[in-house]
Amino acid sequence: MSEPPIFTEELLDRCISCGFCLSACPTYALTGEEVSSPRGRINLMRALEEGRLPADDPTLAEESSFCLGCRACEPVCPAGVQYGPLLEEWRARQWPPRTRPLRLRGLLWATNRRWRVRALGLPRRHARRRRGPGPWLMLGCFERALFPAVSRLAARLVPGARVVARQGCCGALHAHNGELARGHELARELGEALPGVILTTSGGCAAHLAAVLGRDRVRELSEWLVESGAAASSGGARPDGAAASTGAAASTGAAASTGETGARPSETGARPSETWPRPSETRPRVGLQDSCHLRNANGVWREPRELIGRVAEYVELPSASRCCGAAGTYALLRPRDSRVILDAKLDEIAAAEVDYVVAVNPGCLRQLRQGLRRRGSATRAIHLAELLATLGD
Amino acid sequence: MTTQRPAGLAGAGLAGELAEIVGGDHVRTDAGALETFARDATPLHRATPDAICFPGETREVAAVIELAAERGIPVVPRGSGTNLCAATVPHRGGIVLSLTRMNRLLELDAANMVAVCQPGVITARLGEAAAERGLLYPPDPGSRATSTIAGNVATCAGGLRGLKYGVTRDYVLGCEVVIGTGETLRCGGKLVKDVAGLDLTRLLCGSEGTLGVITELTVRLVPAAAANATGVAYFSDLADAGRAVSQILAAGVLPVTLEFLDHTCLETVEEFAGIGLRTDAGALLIFGQDGAAEAIAGDMSAMAEACAQNNGFGVEIADSDADAQELLEARRAVLPSLSRRAPLTILEDASVPRARLAEMVQRIDAIAAEHDLLIGTFGHAGDGNLHPTCVVDPAQDGVLQRVEQAFAQIFAAALELGGTISGEHGIGLAKRDHLRSQLGDAHMRLLTRLKAAFDPADILNPGKLAS
Ligand SMILES: Cc1cc2nc3c(=O)[nH]c(=O)nc-3n(C[C@H](O)[C@H](O)[C@H](O)COP(=O)(O)OP(=O)(O)OC[C@H]3O[C@@H](n4cnc5c(N)ncnc54)[C@H](O)[C@@H]3O)c2cc1C
Ligand code: SF4
Ligand code: SF4
Repeated sequence: MSEPPIFTEELLDRCISCGFCLSACPTYALTGEEVSSPRGRINLMRALEEGRLPADDPTLAEESSFCLGCRACEPVCPAGVQYGPLLEEWRARQWPPRTRPLRLRGLLWATNRRWRVRALGLPRRHARRRRGPGPWLMLGCFERALFPAVSRLAARLVPGARVVARQGCCGALHAHNGELARGHELARELGEALPGVILTTSGGCAAHLAAVLGRDRVRELSEWLVESGAAASSGGARPDGAAASTGAAASTGAAASTGETGARPSETGARPSETWPRPSETRPRVGLQDSCHLRNANGVWREPRELIGRVAEYVELPSASRCCGAAGTYALLRPRDSRVILDAKLDEIAAAEVDYVVAVNPGCLRQLRQGLRRRGSATRAIHLAELLATLGD
Repeated sequence: MTTQRPAGLAGAGLAGELAEIVGGDHVRTDAGALETFARDATPLHRATPDAICFPGETREVAAVIELAAERGIPVVPRGSGTNLCAATVPHRGGIVLSLTRMNRLLELDAANMVAVCQPGVITARLGEAAAERGLLYPPDPGSRATSTIAGNVATCAGGLRGLKYGVTRDYVLGCEVVIGTGETLRCGGKLVKDVAGLDLTRLLCGSEGTLGVITELTVRLVPAAAANATGVAYFSDLADAGRAVSQILAAGVLPVTLEFLDHTCLETVEEFAGIGLRTDAGALLIFGQDGAAEAIAGDMSAMAEACAQNNGFGVEIADSDADAQELLEARRAVLPSLSRRAPLTILEDASVPRARLAEMVQRIDAIAAEHDLLIGTFGHAGDGNLHPTCVVDPAQDGVLQRVEQAFAQIFAAALELGGTISGEHGIGLAKRDHLRSQLGDAHMRLLTRLKAAFDPADILNPGKLAS
């Protein structure tokens, strides 16, 4: 064979076809068909690599796109198959630029250059420039446009965090959507712009950065807070040591005048009239939606639970560790499948009667928030930073 | 493996006819789908089917079988495809009949301590449902999180609790089955005692889809034990571990767990998992008991003492559940650790009477050395069920022939010691050529006649097991 290999041989060889991953896979749960299981997809990759299926085979196209990329198949795999990297290699071959849907092309374009990413964050309501001993706070690409308060509150929770405005997208979006090389390049560029330990509020970015820059270079917010022991605790001292008066402002839900210290629920999606429950009055019931990549690739899942448990009554949702259907660009590219997966989750949230569902990744936050709104649910989806900054006071 | 197919069986019409039975959404004939159903968990075997169909109810299963019988099209029933004997590889093409859609737990009758379920129910789910009612479904194959209950029955799956609780066949009370003519029958039921007719339910245990398609099962549950305990002991020599096992059983203790790892496994697990195992030892024995708390304590100390008396060292009983889990981790880590040493992992399960265990492991070591192969052996010391596992790089010249020769010798050794070529994984396609040497001609002829009685058109998983 003169064709260069599509897949890294050691990665593809690793799978022993034991089928342990089947029960963890959300798409297999939907169809019950081997083709839409991790093992099935690895066999498809092998067929592609070995030329038994042509690159334009429709099943290859369908399955490379139907896969959520949630990597739930990894922690359960006894042979240590790294499915995430395999999927990236698969999509790099399977999704040539011109065949990509317009919506996706737009996204990749917008995040491909640092100045475009910065433009997303205008007007800047995300965390302001700040010198500190570190870590280096990552502002995100879409997060800075959609949920600017998150980075602001993260900066408050980690007072030493250093914030610079000149930073782009981490490239996870590209790596997961067929532009593997660009995805790695962007991660390295970000690694240069933020030359120390990178602190992120997005589980997906954390996993991608860890894969490219090394695990040591990345800390997701909950991980950082637990490791540094500086996390919010109910009724305890404020983590950033700020004056009590600003805390009071935040806990009544009123927007602090500076926009820098208080949680402004209006910005984070809450109705302005709503007030945050104060820990002293009620202990809200709070569930969690794991970030798939944060949990499955970086092994971070205890930390957010622990932090929530310190400020609220933590409720484990039965499928907390399962994908919510946001899955990067999935909700955009396959809205129907994404809805089916989300609906089961929303039923669960309703049954659990939680006040809040916490997300640790902007994509999940958006997905849950939209789903809950559509149902007119009383439960609200918020980012971990919002919960901690508000209830931790 | 080459694919040999009767000419023209697929035809363009097959997909349409199947679709008429199960609905268009539940038939696949696209090349990609066929590719993914070409394999199960068995290495080295693959062959694509002509179609896959996913029936939703017994009636549909029967109609598919009827159609296949009329045309002489092979039908390969399939659960989760985790078997290790190529039992679901469609080497003669035809239809893969996947039962994953029929996955409802129909009834959990706590009063009669039985569960009634469709064939595609996942073993672990049945276990969880039983546990919620304070009951236990004892068979626990290592694959239980993925395997289906009908797959377990059709392979008569064992597991870690085999010595004390038996294997799958000991828990199947009744079933509904579609035989090769397309007729649907029921055998057995909720009754513990029932001698009306022959025990066809038992006959179906381990039948590997060659006699009928199981469409419903009634299984027996037992009260869950109040508590569990686990311990470990090292030995410099596996023979000592074998003597400890004999002493334990002779003392009247029937442990729930009695697992061993040989030196190769110990070394490999430690190398990859780094969980603090003593690699200077020749064998590791993991022992465990369940039951009432006081009874367990007595049994555990008796077992620890038997180990110590037979030159065991590092004997330790876990204080907590978490510690026990840690001890069992070594056992669970064996296969994955071995598999990381080379691209190809071949797991076998020759078994011998318990008293010959150490002897058998020695024979395996000698055979491995003779063929210059890396074979680690672990398994169930209590019931003599061994898992000699060979890891190789198939790219190496002539290595597969060496593996084949080595395993042929291992099977021969097992038979010589009064054992079997397969304790729990089955025969399927992978070990078919070795079956006659264990069963003999008369036995094989009877199996052939039995198969013909159930499946006159020879369409049910043809070419597997004794067919
Ligand atoms: C890592 C690993 C660990 C394992 N550990 C154990 C263990 O500890 N003990 C053990 O015994 N096995 C073990 N196995 C082997 C395997 O899991 C079992 O054989 C299991 O019972 C297969 O179930 P399945 O649903 O995957 O069946 P499949 O593999 O799909 O099928 C197995 C056989 O059953 C037949 N079959 C399936 N459904 C039906 C039906 N409805 N009607 C008729 N026939 C049917 C098939 O035709 C085939 O012959 C292990 C396998 C792996 C990969
Ligand atoms: S669990 Fe791992 S080794 Fe087993 S089939 Fe899935 S990917 Fe392959
Ligand atoms: S990444 Fe998620 S959806 Fe894709 S194969 Fe793995 S478990 Fe299934």
